[in-house]
Amino acid sequence: MNNKEHTNRDEQLIQNALGAFLRARNGLSNVDSESQHLDEDVLSAFVEGSLSESEAKPVVSHMADCGYCLHVSAELIKLDLAFADEARPAALPEAEPSKVSEVLGGILSRIFGTNDGAVFAHEEKSEDENVDAEKEDE
Amino acid sequence: MTPEKEQPQTLPDSCEGILNELYAACVEQAPNFGVDSETLCESLRKSVQKFVVGPSNGEATEAEIEKFLKSVKIGELFLALGCSIGNERAWWEFDHQHRAYLERVARHLASSDLNAQEVVDRVYVELYGTRIVDGRRVSKFANYSGKGSIRGWLRTVIWHSLVDMHRASPDEVSLDEMTENVGEGHAHSSFSETELGGEDSMIDEIAKNRYREATVKSIESAFSGLEDHEKLLLLYYHAENLKLREIARLVEKPESPLRKWFQRKSARRKKDPGSRIHESTIMRWLEKTYKKVLQTFSASLVGDFEMDEKEVEICLELATADLANPDIYRNLVTG
Repeated sequence: MNNKEHTNRDEQLIQNALGAFLRARNGLSNVDSESQHLDEDVLSAFVEGSLSESEAKPVVSHMADCGYCLHVSAELIKLDLAFADEARPAALPEAEPSKVSEVLGGILSRIFGTNDGAVFAHEEKSEDENVDAEKEDE
Repeated sequence: MTPEKEQPQTLPDSCEGILNELYAACVEQAPNFGVDSETLCESLRKSVQKFVVGPSNGEATEAEIEKFLKSVKIGELFLALGCSIGNERAWWEFDHQHRAYLERVARHLASSDLNAQEVVDRVYVELYGTRIVDGRRVSKFANYSGKGSIRGWLRTVIWHSLVDMHRASPDEVSLDEMTENVGEGHAHSSFSETELGGEDSMIDEIAKNRYREATVKSIESAFSGLEDHEKLLLLYYHAENLKLREIARLVEKPESPLRKWFQRKSARRKKDPGSRIHESTIMRWLEKTYKKVLQTFSASLVGDFEMDEKEVEICLELATADLANPDIYRNLVTG
């Protein structure tokens, strides 16, 4: 076996060994404690490549040791790639905004069967609505 | 960089001009979002604390803070802040700009349309906020810093929400099982395991154990001696089974720090820093890292364990066969 073949074989072997080592090591990572994991804001900025060198350094360092964040970031990279061709949102048509309480109320009623409760307690009726309500009362 | 608990620090006086400019630009673009200057500044102060002045980053110069402020996706942050305070115009815009996108992401991830709709509903509720703290509703939008795009952040929120939904379901599955078939990223095939040669049968158990222990210690030492970005590359490829083109996506932007770290000494980068990163480039980075590991690994076996060239090869072959079984690895590291 000449020197080049020898080196190639060793490189192939170290790839295999390293791959096996990393899979085994990752399998032992603690994925239960979420208290010290990277938050969604940091993870998404990292995956998009929006962090500067100094901002990314602690993130990379954390992921090299944290199997949970590594795994989440890997899944987000796949997701990012899957939606890479999505165009930016089109210009908005001018229209009268619907009530946020209506949008969210519909969702809440699907989930909880009701849309009332404290959540929307701060939503006040507009003057027009108050007038309508008074008319109905009469 | 975990979520900040500390009170945000005051920004340097020199940043006041930038803050005023940013706020003026936001109000010009979206005059009806109802976000006041103090709310925007408070959010930016928190972000500076989190990304620039955080405990792991140390002191930051005024120039660094200014650079950070200019990098924030201010229009998207302003929209998020408008939504977080419950402004109807902001919600209307958010709903029109992003609801269809959220639904597409959810359908891509979820196992059924029903689950997709459920996760979008849940995310909307989370975004609006159902918790009241100190008399104020806590909206998830308040966690968005504007450092990444709002759509990238929303993808992450959807992903987490879907995982939480699965965890809460009666037939709970592990994170790995739950996500292994998500999207297209099913694992590429791992390296084929090298079959042990004829001499394997001649090595008795005592010798084998000696080789195993030396191998694990040396490979651990070689791996821990790598730079963090090199470790991350290897972990993405081997432990997370990311494809080369998926890793390439991560370093697509010319200003990506990962790309900078790998190419720091590259003459080509000096010539053309914005050149596209192909899969072959990632493969070259991997090969470079393998060489580095092989060097340290062999040096450790020879230097620390007094092995000869033949024994180094036996260790390499044993590592491939043995470390594929996590139980053997666990026994070796804990034993």
